[in-house]
Amino acid sequence: MFGYTFQWKQALARLPQMLDGALVTLQIALLSMALGILLAILLTVFRRSGSRILNAIATAWVEIARNTPALFQIYMAHFGVASFGIHLSPFTSLLIGITFNNAGYLAENFRGALKAIPDTQARAGRSLGMTPLQSFRYVVMPQMLRIAFLPMTNQMVWAILMTSLGVTVGMNTDLYGVTQDLNALTFRTFELFALAAVIFYLMTKTVQFGARLIAARMFRY
Amino acid sequence: MKTTIIAAALAATALAGTAQADKLDDIIASGTLRCAVVLDFPPMGMRDDQNNPIGFDVDYCNDLAKALGVTAEIVETPFPERIPALMAGRVDVGVASTSDTLERAKTIGVTIPYYAFENAVVANDKVEMANWEGMKGKTVGATAGTYEAIWLEGKIKEWGEGNFRPYQTQADVFLALSQGQLDATVSTVEVANANVASGKFPGIKIVDKAPMVPDYVSLFTMRQEYGLINYMNLFINQQVRTGRYAELYKKWVGEGEPADLTIKGVYR
Repeated sequence: MFGYTFQWKQALARLPQMLDGALVTLQIALLSMALGILLAILLTVFRRSGSRILNAIATAWVEIARNTPALFQIYMAHFGVASFGIHLSPFTSLLIGITFNNAGYLAENFRGALKAIPDTQARAGRSLGMTPLQSFRYVVMPQMLRIAFLPMTNQMVWAILMTSLGVTVGMNTDLYGVTQDLNALTFRTFELFALAAVIFYLMTKTVQFGARLIAARMFRY
Repeated sequence: MKTTIIAAALAATALAGTAQADKLDDIIASGTLRCAVVLDFPPMGMRDDQNNPIGFDVDYCNDLAKALGVTAEIVETPFPERIPALMAGRVDVGVASTSDTLERAKTIGVTIPYYAFENAVVANDKVEMANWEGMKGKTVGATAGTYEAIWLEGKIKEWGEGNFRPYQTQADVFLALSQGQLDATVSTVEVANANVASGKFPGIKIVDKAPMVPDYVSLFTMRQEYGLINYMNLFINQQVRTGRYAELYKKWVGEGEPADLTIKGVYR
């Protein structure tokens, strides 16, 4: 029926290579999240700044990041910018693509979180003699990050999974790229990808579990 | 009572009959031969102005279907998706310029070679490169999952310098090469010539032949389908014997002699 004999040993022999790939995947996901959070905070500040230009920049960013496929964003970060003579390595292109996407989604998360914080909080800060930026930085932002914490872990999971799109720009050191390479070599498609799926699952589950632990410790009242 | 026994006996024979049918029987019975063909690999597989699949491999599939007395159905599969398509039952055979490596033959059943490629080194105009060894220390790439990609990645590892990038399609490789993202690539002479001649990828040049064993490519199907593999072996032999192989070579590749498919001094 299926006409295929599963040879798990053949796939398991490649596990060390795949785990090395998983480390690269985690590295990209973590970096893209760190940069994405910083950029998203910047975009949020832009939106609150009252400046038309800054607001337009932030809105355009969020609109493009949320309403076009991540694959397109990563492809543009590689082949798109290259048509202007800027040559980026697959790693950098993938990182930029995912960071761009993360920043867009996180900025929306932050906007939602800000809605949940009463305006009086910012004003209370101002009445203590803080500048608008100071009141945002010390009073509003910590609450915003707390409310947006769980949506942020969602984005982290999404970032891990998005690294698999790197193969379109020639990435071959992340988990998906390594798996694809091994597949070309051995044609053991089903075993290798099943193994990759398990590794992806364990990574995202670990992130979710870790986030819950952190949340339980940090956000105790 | 008697009729019941006869009916049961008939049913049993019918069931036994279907149980023994192999892939070759299935194809003949279904009247359709579904071939996995890579349509991003000129001149072996590509599309014409009306978006119809054409090329050496497409004609080869049509010939095979004709020999079997069935109609051919071309199923487009990018290089990395040839095997999943076969295993998932989307195609019966692959006519997809598949290199017959020993590693792969553990998973799929391959026929005798039906074509052999030589490979060329293609570089960006702006890169100084006298011969293939000029690739040392450069950023090079090739189509993921191909024989030349496996060779090139091995070379980079051997040299211990330079970068290797596999792209998912041949078009992406040449786009990256034309943009200067890659310094050089290795592709079949056929693809290299076609892409340089097409003018779609400005700023590239053919530098040298790549010094590798000719890339013998085979038809493939499930490993246990001996009947079909036997049939396809004979079919390939007949294609050469009848001159159809040379005819298709002239039609798609150009003037000159097609590659010798025999290897001196050894039986297959």
